[in-house]
Amino acid sequence: MQIGQNDNRNSPTRLLDPSVLSSLSNLELVAKAVVEGFVMGLHRSPKYGFSQEFVEYRPYTEGDDPRHIDWNVYSRTDKTFIKLFKGETNSHLMLLLDTSASMGFGRTHSKLQYGKYLAASLAYLASRQHDAIGAMIFNSEVVQYRPPTSKSGTLQGVIHTLDNAEAIEGTALHKPFTRFREHVKKRGLVAVISDFYCDPEALMENVRPLALHGQDVIMFHLMDPEELNPNIKESTLYEDMESGESIEVSPVFMKEDYPQKIKAHIAAIEKTAQGMNADHILLKTNEPLDRALHSYLTFREKRA
Amino acid sequence: MSLLSPLFLFALVGIALPVWLHRLQTNATEREKFSSIMFMEQSKQRIHIQRKLKYLLLMALRILFLVLLVLAFTKPVFFVTPEAAATEDTTHHVIVLDSSFSMREGDSFDQAVRIAQGLADDMGADDIASLYTASGTVETISALTADPAIIRGSLNNLEPDNGRLDIGAMVTALNSLITSSQANFIIHFISDYQQSGQAIRFADMVPDLINGRPVSLSIHQVKTEDVPNWSVVSVEITALDTVRVGLKNNTASEQSAEKTVTLAINDVTQQSLTQTFAAPADGINYLTFENVVFEEGDNRLDVSASPNDSLPEDDTRHTVFDNSPPVPVILLSADPESLAVTYITTALETAPRGYQVELKNINDFDPRILQRYPWIVIEDIGAINDSLAQNLQAYVDGGGSILAAVGELSLGQTSIPVGGQTIGGGLTFNRNTSYKVQRVNTSHPVLNGTVGWNNLAISRVLPIEADDNSNILINLTGNIPFLLERNIGLGRFLLLNTNLNNTWSDLPVKPVFVSFIAEAARHLSNEELLVKEQTVNSFLPLGQNGGNSGQVYNPSGERLLSLADTTQAQNIQLTETGYYRIVTLGRDVLVAVNPDARESDLSLMSTQALQNWETMVSGSAGNLELIDGVAVSSVEEEPVAIEIWRVLLILLALIVLTESLLGNRYLRFNTGNA
Repeated sequence: MQIGQNDNRNSPTRLLDPSVLSSLSNLELVAKAVVEGFVMGLHRSPKYGFSQEFVEYRPYTEGDDPRHIDWNVYSRTDKTFIKLFKGETNSHLMLLLDTSASMGFGRTHSKLQYGKYLAASLAYLASRQHDAIGAMIFNSEVVQYRPPTSKSGTLQGVIHTLDNAEAIEGTALHKPFTRFREHVKKRGLVAVISDFYCDPEALMENVRPLALHGQDVIMFHLMDPEELNPNIKESTLYEDMESGESIEVSPVFMKEDYPQKIKAHIAAIEKTAQGMNADHILLKTNEPLDRALHSYLTFREKRA
Repeated sequence: MSLLSPLFLFALVGIALPVWLHRLQTNATEREKFSSIMFMEQSKQRIHIQRKLKYLLLMALRILFLVLLVLAFTKPVFFVTPEAAATEDTTHHVIVLDSSFSMREGDSFDQAVRIAQGLADDMGADDIASLYTASGTVETISALTADPAIIRGSLNNLEPDNGRLDIGAMVTALNSLITSSQANFIIHFISDYQQSGQAIRFADMVPDLINGRPVSLSIHQVKTEDVPNWSVVSVEITALDTVRVGLKNNTASEQSAEKTVTLAINDVTQQSLTQTFAAPADGINYLTFENVVFEEGDNRLDVSASPNDSLPEDDTRHTVFDNSPPVPVILLSADPESLAVTYITTALETAPRGYQVELKNINDFDPRILQRYPWIVIEDIGAINDSLAQNLQAYVDGGGSILAAVGELSLGQTSIPVGGQTIGGGLTFNRNTSYKVQRVNTSHPVLNGTVGWNNLAISRVLPIEADDNSNILINLTGNIPFLLERNIGLGRFLLLNTNLNNTWSDLPVKPVFVSFIAEAARHLSNEELLVKEQTVNSFLPLGQNGGNSGQVYNPSGERLLSLADTTQAQNIQLTETGYYRIVTLGRDVLVAVNPDARESDLSLMSTQALQNWETMVSGSAGNLELIDGVAVSSVEEEPVAIEIWRVLLILLALIVLTESLLGNRYLRFNTGNA
C-alpha cells in the first residue's frame, strides 16, 4: 500500500504528507506526528526494533543516557548495565542538512522545509531507538554543529538547531565534510540531506573519506517536482538563487533537454553513492515522508 | 522653430509615467528565480532581448506620443524663409516705390511701376530682390525672392495712397526690415523726390550698415522738373454766413491761374466763384463766400477748384462746420441774483463754442435731470445739501463733470462736498492779506491757452488741504491750492478756491476768467478730444463719450470697428480722405480728413541734394571692411511663420495606431497566445 496516496483524513499516515505538515508550526510536533503515524502504520513490526522484547545487557559507557541503566542489576552486581531490547542498537545518527540558497526553492514549500521535516523526523525516530543524535547545518560553511549524543534534551536541541536553519549562500561540501571527519571519530550513521547541486566527482572526494572511516552514509537527495519537469510557456530569464547569475532559456529546451540533463545528474550522484557503498534516496518534496523513513530503517537494519 | 506657448513644456514631466510603468513591467515579469542554472543553456533565439527591444520600442512610442502632444500644445511655428539662392555675386535689390499722395500727380505712379518692372527684368541670375512701398509707413509687398516674375506680379495691383512720405522715416523702417539679409545691397528708390519729403537731418536718410555688407543707393526719378500745382489749403468760417477759402500756389515761382472755386455744403452746391489768382511763390490767395446758409448740426463743406491740374486730388478740401445751437449747461446757485451768476453766465455765453446757461436754484433742484448734461457749474459748492451731494457724486461717477467754486456757504464746512478735499484751519480773513499765484500748470488743457493768472488780486481763500488724488493746477503762496482737479469715477471735479462774486478775488472781472471758463468747458465736456479736421494717417481719439468709443464709419460708409472694439478702441487711424462719421450714444460727429498739405508741394529735391545723398550712402558703405571682398551667405528675410500642429496631430494618430498594434501583440504574448 502506498501510504502517501491514502486520502483518508482520519488515517494517522495523513500526517506524513508534507503539505499537511507545513501547516504545523512546531518542528518537534511535526517530527512526533510523522514518526508516530509512521510507527502506527508499521503495525508494531519487531523487525525495526520497536518491540519491547529484551535481548541482552551491555555495560554502560560514557555518552549513554543514565535513565537506561538497569538499577536492579546495579544493586545486585554493583556494576552499571544498560538493558537492550530487540531493534535497539548502540548507534549514532549524524544529520547533515544543506542550507544553501538553492534549498530555498519550492513552489508550495521549499526543499529546506522538507529537509527540516525529514531531519526532525529522523532525529525523533532515532531518539525512540535510543540512538545518539547529532546535527550539522551547512552551506558554503559550517553554520552550526551539534556533536552526536544521547543525553537528555538532545532531541529538542537538534530540532531547535534544525528549526533555525535558513537557506542562504552557496554550497561547498569540502568544509563541512572535513570538519565532520575531524570531530566525529565514532562509527555511526550519517544522513546527508541536500539537493546535491554539485559535481559528482567532488561529492565523491568529500564523502569517500567518511565511508573509509567506517561511517554509513545515506544521501537524501531532495528535488522539487518543478526542478525535475519544469513547465514554461515562454522564454524565461532564470536567475540562479545561489550565484545570482541570469540565463535566458527557451520553453523547448526546458521541456526536452533539461529533464534529460537533470536525470543524468541524479544518476551520476546515485552512481557516486553506490561507489562509496552509500545509499542514495531521491525524494520529491511533494511526496510523503514515509518512504524516507522506510529507507532509513532499512538502511539502519542493514548496517546494524 | 519657435514656441508660442512654451509654458506647456512643463507637462513633459509626464514622460516619467511610461518610463516608470515600463520599468515595473519589465522587472516584474521577466526574471524568475530558480534553484540552480547549472544544467541550463542560453536560448539561441534570444527572445528575451527581442521582447526587451519591443518593450523599449513601445516605451519610446509612448514617450514620443507625450512629447508630440505637449509640443502641439506649445503651438510650435517654423519660420521659413523664401528660397533665394545667394552666391558670391549675389546682389540684393531693395526696390522701394514711393506711394505717397504726391505720386497721384499725372502718371507718376505708373511710371514708377514701369521702372520697377524694368529693375526686375534686369536682375542677374544670382540676384535677389524684395519690393516695398513707402508712404506714411513702409510695407513689404514682396518678400525676398530670386524670381523676377514674383516682383513683376506684385507690381500689378499697386496704387498710391493718401499718406505723406518722410524719407528719413522710410530709411529707418528699411533698416529694420532688411537687417536679417546678408547680401550686397542696392536700394532702388523710385519716387518723385519731393523736397518736402526730405528729412530735416540729412544723416537720417543714410541707412545703417546692414550686416557689414556694401550698400548703395540707386535714384530713380519719375520726373525731373517742378510741376505747377494749386491746392485748396484752408476753409475758414469767419462768420455764421461767411466762408473764406485759401488757394495756394505750390510752386517756387510766382504764377497766376484762373480758377473757379465751388462751395458745396452737405453735397449741395451753394456758390461758385471764378477768379484769376496771381499768387506769389508759395503764396496763398483767399476767396470769400458770403451769405452762406448752413444747416443745423455738422455741415460738410466741400470746396473745390477747377479746372483741375495734374494733381486733382488736392483741388478739393473737406471741412466740417459745427452749426449746433449753444450747448445747454446747468448753473446751480443758492442766490440766482448774485454777481457770481452774472459773471459765469457771461463768460459761458461768450465762449467760442457758445453755451446756453440754464440757471437753477440749488434749493429746489431736481437731480434727475443731471444725466442730460455732460457737465454743470456750481456757484458755491458749500450750498449743496447731503442728498444733492450724493446725487452729484453718482453723476460724476457715471462720467459727468463739475466746475465748482467756493463761497460764503463753504466757510462752515470741514470738507469739500463731492470733491472730498479737507478744509483745514488757520487762515483768517484780513482785508490787508493778499495771496499771489505761485505756480500755474500750463500743461493742463484748462490752463493751456490762458494767461494773466499772476495779475490776480486774491484776498481770501479756504485752507483746502489737497489729498493725493487731487491734482493742483494753480498754487498760491503758502502752498494753498487755488485751482485743483480730481478724477472721480469716469468724471471730473474742478474746484476754484475763491468765490465768483468779485469779493474774495478779482478773477471774475479779469480777462483770464473768460478764457478759463471756455477752456474748462471744452475740457469738462470732452470736446477737446475731437478735432474735426484731421490729416490723413493721423489718429482720432475715441473716448469722447464717457469711455464709450462708439461706431466709426469711413468715407465709403463702411464700419471700421468690430462690435467688441466699439467699447474698447481708444483711437483709430484715418487713412482715407473725406468724412469719417463717429456715432456714439446721443452724438453723431463728422470729422473731415484731408491729405497732408506738404504732399501738394511738388517741388523736387535739388540735383545737388540727390547727389549728396547718393554719395553719402555709398560712402558709408565704402568705409566697410569687406569680408573676402564679397558676400557669401545664405539670405533670409521676412520669414513666414508656419504652424505645424496639424502635422503633429497626424503623427500623434500614427503613433496611437502603432502603439495599439504593438501593445496588442505584447498582450497576446503575455496571455500565451503567441
